[in-house]
Amino acid sequence: MTDFARRIAAASLLSLGLAGAASAESDSMIALVPGGPNPYFTAWEQAGVDAAAEFGLAASDFKVPQKWELSQQNQLLESLLSQGYNGFLIFPGDPVGSISIAEELVANDAQVIAGAGCFQDPSPAAFCLGTDTGNSAYLGMQALVKSFGEEAKGKKVAHFTGFLVDPNTQLRIDAVKKAADEAGIEIVQVIADIDAPEPAEEKINAYLAAHAGNIDGIITTAWVPSVVSANALRKIGDKRIHMVGIDHDEVVLQAVRDGFVHGTMIQNPYGQAWLGSFALDKLRSGCTVKEDAPFIANALTTKFIDSGTALIDASNVDGYVDVMREQTAKIYDGFEASYLSCN
Amino acid sequence: MTPFSRILRTDWFGPLIIVILAVVVIRAFSPQFLSPLNIQVLLLAIAVNALIAYAQMMIIAIGQMNLSVGAIGGLAAISFAGMMEVWGIPAPLAAALALLIGLLCGFVNGVMIAVTGISAFVITLATLAIYKGINLGITEAQPFYGIPANVKAFGNGSLFNLIPLIALPTLVAAVGLWFLLFRLPAGRFILAVGGNEHAAQLSGIKVGRTITLAHAISGFLAAGAGILVVARVQVGQPSIGDDWLILSFAAPVIGGAILTGGHVSVAATTLGVVIVALITQALVLFNIDPFLVQVVMGGLILVAVGINRLRETRMQALKRSV
Amino acid sequence: MTSHDVSHGSNGPISTPAPSSGAPSSGAPAQLSPLRRFLLTNEFGLILLIVLFAVLFAVTTRGFTTPFSLFTLGRSAAVNIMIGLSMMAVIVTGGLSLAVGAIGVCAAMFLGYLIQSLGMPWPLAILAAIAMGAALGFINGFAVVRTGLHSFIITLATMSIFFGVMVFLTRAEAFRGLPPVFADFGKMKFATYFSPLLLVTLAAALGLGWLYRYSVLGREMLAAGARPEAAELSGIRVGRMIIYCHMLSGALAALAALMLVARNGAAIPSMAGQLGQDWLLPAFLGPVLGGTLLNGGRAAVLGTCLGAFLVTMLSSGLLLMRVGEFWVQSFLGLLLLLAVLMDKLRRSYLARRNLV
Repeated sequence: MTDFARRIAAASLLSLGLAGAASAESDSMIALVPGGPNPYFTAWEQAGVDAAAEFGLAASDFKVPQKWELSQQNQLLESLLSQGYNGFLIFPGDPVGSISIAEELVANDAQVIAGAGCFQDPSPAAFCLGTDTGNSAYLGMQALVKSFGEEAKGKKVAHFTGFLVDPNTQLRIDAVKKAADEAGIEIVQVIADIDAPEPAEEKINAYLAAHAGNIDGIITTAWVPSVVSANALRKIGDKRIHMVGIDHDEVVLQAVRDGFVHGTMIQNPYGQAWLGSFALDKLRSGCTVKEDAPFIANALTTKFIDSGTALIDASNVDGYVDVMREQTAKIYDGFEASYLSCN
Repeated sequence: MTPFSRILRTDWFGPLIIVILAVVVIRAFSPQFLSPLNIQVLLLAIAVNALIAYAQMMIIAIGQMNLSVGAIGGLAAISFAGMMEVWGIPAPLAAALALLIGLLCGFVNGVMIAVTGISAFVITLATLAIYKGINLGITEAQPFYGIPANVKAFGNGSLFNLIPLIALPTLVAAVGLWFLLFRLPAGRFILAVGGNEHAAQLSGIKVGRTITLAHAISGFLAAGAGILVVARVQVGQPSIGDDWLILSFAAPVIGGAILTGGHVSVAATTLGVVIVALITQALVLFNIDPFLVQVVMGGLILVAVGINRLRETRMQALKRSV
Repeated sequence: MTSHDVSHGSNGPISTPAPSSGAPSSGAPAQLSPLRRFLLTNEFGLILLIVLFAVLFAVTTRGFTTPFSLFTLGRSAAVNIMIGLSMMAVIVTGGLSLAVGAIGVCAAMFLGYLIQSLGMPWPLAILAAIAMGAALGFINGFAVVRTGLHSFIITLATMSIFFGVMVFLTRAEAFRGLPPVFADFGKMKFATYFSPLLLVTLAAALGLGWLYRYSVLGREMLAAGARPEAAELSGIRVGRMIIYCHMLSGALAALAALMLVARNGAAIPSMAGQLGQDWLLPAFLGPVLGGTLLNGGRAAVLGTCLGAFLVTMLSSGLLLMRVGEFWVQSFLGLLLLLAVLMDKLRRSYLARRNLV
């Protein structure tokens, strides 16, 4: 087990024991609800525990739907509202399909913030706190270009990405294409819809078996393809192919350490849940979102706050959690002043 | 009957021709197709999928269906990975225990069906939910990452850089199943029950016991597939097994298995798996729209059952004319 | 595909025996007061369970009886009941359909396409989407009748094909620009507790009850499912009836999917999971709990509704009890097992006492 995972496990055990004993200053019961089980969100649990302690919340609990399915998430959210939760950080199962439930939550006096992914405007969410997936993919591709050095032009790169039903997937494909075009690099193949281990294994290995000799680089923009590709490169034992992955899976991080993978773009799930819990509590205590807050606009919403993304390579791979915390601290500094108006 | 026409009549002949044709065609378009690395990749896919197909084949043999193959495989997979990570149990023991869990799950299916007489569809639908629920309850949908190095080495290893080690258990299973079905009394009973349950009962076969045995073997094979997937993807994913349902039926049916029971072939089912693997790979190699993969799989099943149906009526006509 | 369950027990008020199955062979049933007769039905057992669990949840959980909780319970139940009825319509023939989820999603996406890309007015688009569901059901039925293969394998293949073609055509992109009337309908409440979706389901259930009980078509469907050979002899075109049943199932699946569209305000390709597989459990739970025999010939409309309602209430109650969201599926599986066992016992009790 990784160190990080162990810490999470210990903390969750602790929180089980201490639930109820903790003296809360605020009556905010925050629920952190991802779209479904995915290792990306495990950092939310720790962040919720940390935030509840830090800000004296009644609760900031990580609640996962059993499956990546909109109705499962809807049912869980309905249930959590009935259980008395009054602040929700939600990864929308669908940017439009989840708006209905968000409106119902708000109509029942709960506060809603979108986390990691956004609702499409107009929505009742106060704002969206997430990684700019397009931008992250763009930066990742640029990092890959940089790793080729002088003779980047004309190199051939394969792109492995996630579920086609995820609206972020198209954004990522476009962003990678854009960065590649700018550097004169050819994207020879996009393999999508492989964010589950078995099909990813099958398709990526089949592709590499046939074409490993013809490509110079791999970019992956989803969790599972990153893991599978990192494993495949280790198996081939070839450091000729450069790869930039995504997220902080232990397999990918180890491959970065061992030099099989050039780097990985981490996003900041920890910060999303930590800042989200903080902001939800503030909103519940009467703060409002500032009219002139310095939001960014993205494809879905005009109220986006970037939770940050960073390249992890051999130089900073061992301190990647600190990188996340640093990013979080940076956004927290002045968060209240720039985004909220409280009396 | 000449030996040649007898070969023509076997289940495995048609699929074999398709496999050879497919290999020749794909090779013509893509020179790397028969590279050692690619053969290894193909065999990896075939090894796991063959066990999944055998697990269903055993149940098709008794004229039933098992919806819980994937759920059993998934439960065995996470038990295997979980026992190693959480309790530090050595891999061989963990694998044995996981196989035992699979055997037990299948046994429960079989006993429920044999004792209550409720249709296998309903029972395995219920146990599908139960086994999958236990899987999710244990893992909370989070994967186990702590796979020991020797398991990973097994998953990555190969003989002569060509045959993956993962294929060896499948080979043993294939030979074992063939021996069981066609050389042992138990296998004869299974096929007899599948062919005509009533007649089998009249001839003194213990039907309930035979059904239970077939389900227990099915569970055992599904668990084996789950363990191999863990060795291959090197993560104990709770979602292992979720998409086995279609595959588990496709391969035996392409291999000529008749769904009403009593007629299956290990060799032809294996060839069915090979065909599915070749097609999956061809779709990637030829850069065919990933969206069309599902359509091709469904179409393949329809074509295969259609051909089987034709053969069945032909054979009956032939029998009558003799 | 063996089905051992051939006993024909009493199936409650709305279930209707096929005309050709005639009087039970075991002679005239013993005289029972209507009340006692009702107490021995499957439906009464389900009502008892629903009341029991409702009391349990109301006492032990926080929030089960809040208006919002009850409102959402009714709304989820409406969709689940409709999915169950859609499966029931095929089970009547002694077959089944794995493709209900795929058909539902295809119909919903067709609706999205008609409204968003072709600008069709929404009432017309709803009708077209239901017709689409029926058309896909027709393909299933036609293939089953023509090939003579079991519907299990046909619909296993078609669920893959329907879903694959839909994903190919739509590029898996949701239709999100639907008129607000859908989302408004999904959120609408009347009398603070009830969702209008429940009314849609109620209407469909009443319609089906009437169909199987009073209409010639419905009775012929049941007869074709109960004893195909006998039905054929008495002049019923069995093949055509099987196709009609599949079409009815397709239309009901489309209706269920449209209700989900209303709930979500968008037509989303993943709303029934990969290949529509996520509908399978609710689809079978309702009819099987409700006492619909899997070998055909009977339709327990009320039982299906009660069964699906019980399932919805249990999953919502278990979530509220916080017994661990992840165990819900296991509980539902156990429930299904218990239910079929109880039903089996009840039937053999009735048979022994010569009460059928």
